[in-house]
Amino acid sequence: MAQIFPPRSTTIARSILAGIVAAVLVAAVGGYVVTRSDWYWRVGKAEPQPVPFSHLLHAGDLGLDCRYCHTTVERSALAGIPPAQTCLGCHDGLPVGGAALGPLRTAFDTGEPFLWNRVHRVPDHALFHHGIHVSSGVGCATCHGPVEEMPRIAKAGTLSMSWCLDCHREVEPVGPPVTDGDGGLLHPLTDCSRCHR
Amino acid sequence: MTERDEDRPEATWRSLEALDGDAGALRWRDGEFPDLARATATGRRSLLKLMGASVALAGTAGCERLPAEAPADPIVSRAGATPGHVPGEPLFFATSLPLEGYGRGVLVESHEGRPTKIEGNPLHPASLGATDAFAQAAILSLYAPDRLRAALRRGGGRRRLDGTLAQLAAEFAADGGAGLRLLTGPVSSPSLTAGIASLLDRLPEARWLQWSPVGDGNRLDGAALAFGERLETRLDLARASVIVAIDDDPLGPGPNQVANGAGFIAGRRDPARFSRLWVFEACPSLTGARADRRFPVSPRAVPAIARAVAAALGVVPPADDGVELPPGLVEDLRRAGPAAVVTAGRRAPPEVHALVHAVNLALGAVGTTVHHTRPVLAGAPSGVAALAALAAEIDAGAVSRLVVIDANPAYDAPADLDLARRIRRVPFSLCLASRLDETAAECLWTLPLAHPLESWGDLRAPNGTVGLMQPALAPPAGTMTALELVARLAGSEAPARELVRGYWEQAFPPGEFEAAWLRTLHDGVVEGTAFEEIPVRLAPGWEVPPPVPAQGEGLTVLFAPDPSVWDGQFADNAWLQELPKPLTKLVWDNAILIAPATAARLGLANGDGAVLELHGRALEAPVWLLPGHAPDCVTLPLGYGHRRGDVARGLGFDAYSVRRSEAPWVDGGAVLQPSGRRHLLATTQDHGTMVGRDLVRSVPLARLAAMAALGGEAGGEAAGEEAGEETEVAGEDLPSIYPEYDYSGPAWGMAVDLNACIGCNACVIACQVENNVPAVGKEEVARGREMHWLRIDRYWEGDPADPRIHFQPVLCMHCEKAPCEVVCPVNATVHDSEGLNVMVYNRCIGTRYCSNNCPYKVRRFNWFDYADEGGRPEVTANPDVTLRERGVMEKCTYCVQRIQKARIQAKLEDRPIADGEVVTACQQACPTRAFTFGDITDPASAVSRAKASPLNYGLLEELNTRPRTTYLARIDDPPAPEEAS
Repeated sequence: MAQIFPPRSTTIARSILAGIVAAVLVAAVGGYVVTRSDWYWRVGKAEPQPVPFSHLLHAGDLGLDCRYCHTTVERSALAGIPPAQTCLGCHDGLPVGGAALGPLRTAFDTGEPFLWNRVHRVPDHALFHHGIHVSSGVGCATCHGPVEEMPRIAKAGTLSMSWCLDCHREVEPVGPPVTDGDGGLLHPLTDCSRCHR
Repeated sequence: MTERDEDRPEATWRSLEALDGDAGALRWRDGEFPDLARATATGRRSLLKLMGASVALAGTAGCERLPAEAPADPIVSRAGATPGHVPGEPLFFATSLPLEGYGRGVLVESHEGRPTKIEGNPLHPASLGATDAFAQAAILSLYAPDRLRAALRRGGGRRRLDGTLAQLAAEFAADGGAGLRLLTGPVSSPSLTAGIASLLDRLPEARWLQWSPVGDGNRLDGAALAFGERLETRLDLARASVIVAIDDDPLGPGPNQVANGAGFIAGRRDPARFSRLWVFEACPSLTGARADRRFPVSPRAVPAIARAVAAALGVVPPADDGVELPPGLVEDLRRAGPAAVVTAGRRAPPEVHALVHAVNLALGAVGTTVHHTRPVLAGAPSGVAALAALAAEIDAGAVSRLVVIDANPAYDAPADLDLARRIRRVPFSLCLASRLDETAAECLWTLPLAHPLESWGDLRAPNGTVGLMQPALAPPAGTMTALELVARLAGSEAPARELVRGYWEQAFPPGEFEAAWLRTLHDGVVEGTAFEEIPVRLAPGWEVPPPVPAQGEGLTVLFAPDPSVWDGQFADNAWLQELPKPLTKLVWDNAILIAPATAARLGLANGDGAVLELHGRALEAPVWLLPGHAPDCVTLPLGYGHRRGDVARGLGFDAYSVRRSEAPWVDGGAVLQPSGRRHLLATTQDHGTMVGRDLVRSVPLARLAAMAALGGEAGGEAAGEEAGEETEVAGEDLPSIYPEYDYSGPAWGMAVDLNACIGCNACVIACQVENNVPAVGKEEVARGREMHWLRIDRYWEGDPADPRIHFQPVLCMHCEKAPCEVVCPVNATVHDSEGLNVMVYNRCIGTRYCSNNCPYKVRRFNWFDYADEGGRPEVTANPDVTLRERGVMEKCTYCVQRIQKARIQAKLEDRPIADGEVVTACQQACPTRAFTFGDITDPASAVSRAKASPLNYGLLEELNTRPRTTYLARIDDPPAPEEAS
């Protein structure tokens, strides 16, 4: 009786098995690498905005302080997105901007809020507070990068949890350390409840 | 603990079933979710298939919309800056919320224009910084999806009525308002009273009446009998050393609950100056639960008891009716004199109130513990008599126009008045209502009423102090307040704000108005508007006619406002529906409350249907056996059996359907017979049953002195071990296999003073609102799946015919040696550096091992997507607290968001967190300050001092969990014979 499978079947079967293992490995490694990549987190990518606002011009060339527009950054959880009124405070008297500012002027005239596309997004279950970071000596550029060099605002870091923890683990805790019985250090700044509640 | 122990007759028990060792009740002791196995009765093959599918789909469960692909949720630039508003920081508005016409001062926390939480206003006399459960739940009714948004015409369609209102005003004015009747709820508002007065000036033929189904008018009518004029009566329980409540519930829900509770507890903190509370009542109440001497008596006996007290004090000649007062009562009253107070409740007839007023006057209590002022509510006719007169007028055809404002007589009027049918017979009827309720459905036109949190207005507190109402958000277009409607009908077009402002402009000295107005808006109260006390003396020729006894043989029926939905006005609020009622622990239902002995005689058990016949009317409803209820009478809680309302419709039975205008509170001649039906009643009384020693402890006052003398070492059996064991983080020498922690910074802890807890439930709802805790519905509660992070356990003690009653708020203990932490396979519940036992929702995979291992049963599992289905729109949730998904465990966090907020504020100001700076939601709401929270490593902190008390004990301390939450035993003043046992 003739053989059903020729001798090369073994090789094919083996390579298929090896292929499955390899595919799983590639998927795992690939997934690991991709989800940690800047590409995945859109680092450095600008979003289209309804008004082509340039931080390069305002913060860089004109040298405006961040806090001129982001007024509540030192005391509130939110840095504060300036109202249209703040923009028009200068632009009403300046012949610059022109038609590009149209949507802002409309917003101001109608009283309707004006929507920007979000660049820095933190998930809902992570409660970030700008004020506590600024007052603890973390400068704006530490997280947002050289904003004054960005014609269109883009993320300078991934804003992932591990990215946050890179700092939170490094900062020396204030006061004597808290330890559990095995000598393990409980770092107050890495308590889950600091950001998640 | 729950089983009857012959050696310890004083042992506490949670339910009659548990006391009898009933298997159904003991299931709750043996398992947290006893019917779980049955809930998923699945065959082996189906189980394997489901498991396979679960494993295959497990990978996709983690797939959230990734940040990169998520549609950009926009960030918003406003058109202009709002002065005083810091993005991300809440604003607080001082305003007032009405209950029975009276105002309760509150501060509304508003995040980006959305009210999320209500706190008490410390400047307001009816709040003193605390709130009741109704005020806490007002947030949900603000966002109720079935609120009316537009004018409705009966039988068809939505129309605009703005133009028509002006026409209506002209039409009314043309014939002087002939045939016009204005029916409102109780009104204390000065501006609304003035508005209605000017409307009535314009329309001399019109008449105004007020209606509340649970009004307290008898108290004022009693004053009219005794003193010759209708006067308000207010109690100052803080100054009382002997309190006698005759069928009254000053600590129970009502407009003055917060102030009465605070006052009562103020008189019970110091063992050297400890008030004694005597209570005569039929149905156990919150006041009865705190009584030192409680006597279950039929309401038929109440007039005789009042007369006997009066006779014993020489106020009236003794009557020969064979009533014997309990020994010591009269001596107590005589000894206390001006520091004594006798009070009767809303069920008591005016004649009883007149006796009580006279007794207080004779004791010298008027001016110290009892204060009389002019009535807070407007003087328009009110009560059943006024409503009966209206019904007669409708029958006579004298009413051609009816305007109903914020009242629901078609639902809550006594059945014999049949207002629903009569309103329909009025040619023109107009109703201002927040929902399409029973009355709105009968009226020709219905206009949408603005919520109190959206309204301009003013309300008087029970002492007369005016609290302003200001909107925390703009009302939906088309809605209006009562004041606006009255002004429109009088032909005025002024907006609500101008109406209120205009009224107060006259009240302030000229020139100073602007500053005073702003200050008043900020504070929420108008300075110096409390009523002067009016000196009283007995009217000449004073004589109390004997009250008409309840008619008929057979059972006596009492009507009572429901502790959760009051007269029915809160029945559409899912949070209040799911709030376990203080004594029965029932949710989403009412039941005929009956004494166990009487029920046994009639062959009825919990949940059995019964037909109640009362003077030709009948209803079918489940019965609930309530220990401590007087025999041979039944209590019918009002407020259920609605025919309208998305949430309320169909829940419970309508006790108004057998209420008669002749006997609105106490009726005789009822017949109760088993109907043979069974009803599903959801109760939480056996849920979270703990197994251990002396869970709830109390110490007799007499023994407290002995304990203090021995330096807190001696306890005795009733005091338990509270004196012996230390619950501090340090100084614990019992060995443990759990890791040790060494805290350098603050370590948070809580002490709950059981001596201060009156069981009012404000903390339960406050926790729910603050922490975005969903309501789950009756069926889920019946399965033990309620989500409240803080529950109040109610224990009975002793004889079911007349037990003592204990309340114990139970929340996460934040154990130093937490059994939940070590069993979590994914580290989702961990200790943090400040000793909090934190729950990390994102790590949780829902094994429920932690809950299984928790001896206190305080962990709650999201069996379904309750947060989405719980009825609270996501945008209205507290933005500082994460919404939990299905399959995630949750529990009390000690309000970690408030700790973080205080920490950040302290850091911004470069200082340590002050003691008392972190206030948890339960603590803030509590009228009696039963909760103390703070840093237990600081020996000077309030919580450390509380925990140093000899009364301090930990729940299930014998398990060596070293709970951070500890309790202070309640102090009681029981009668001498029991003290010896």
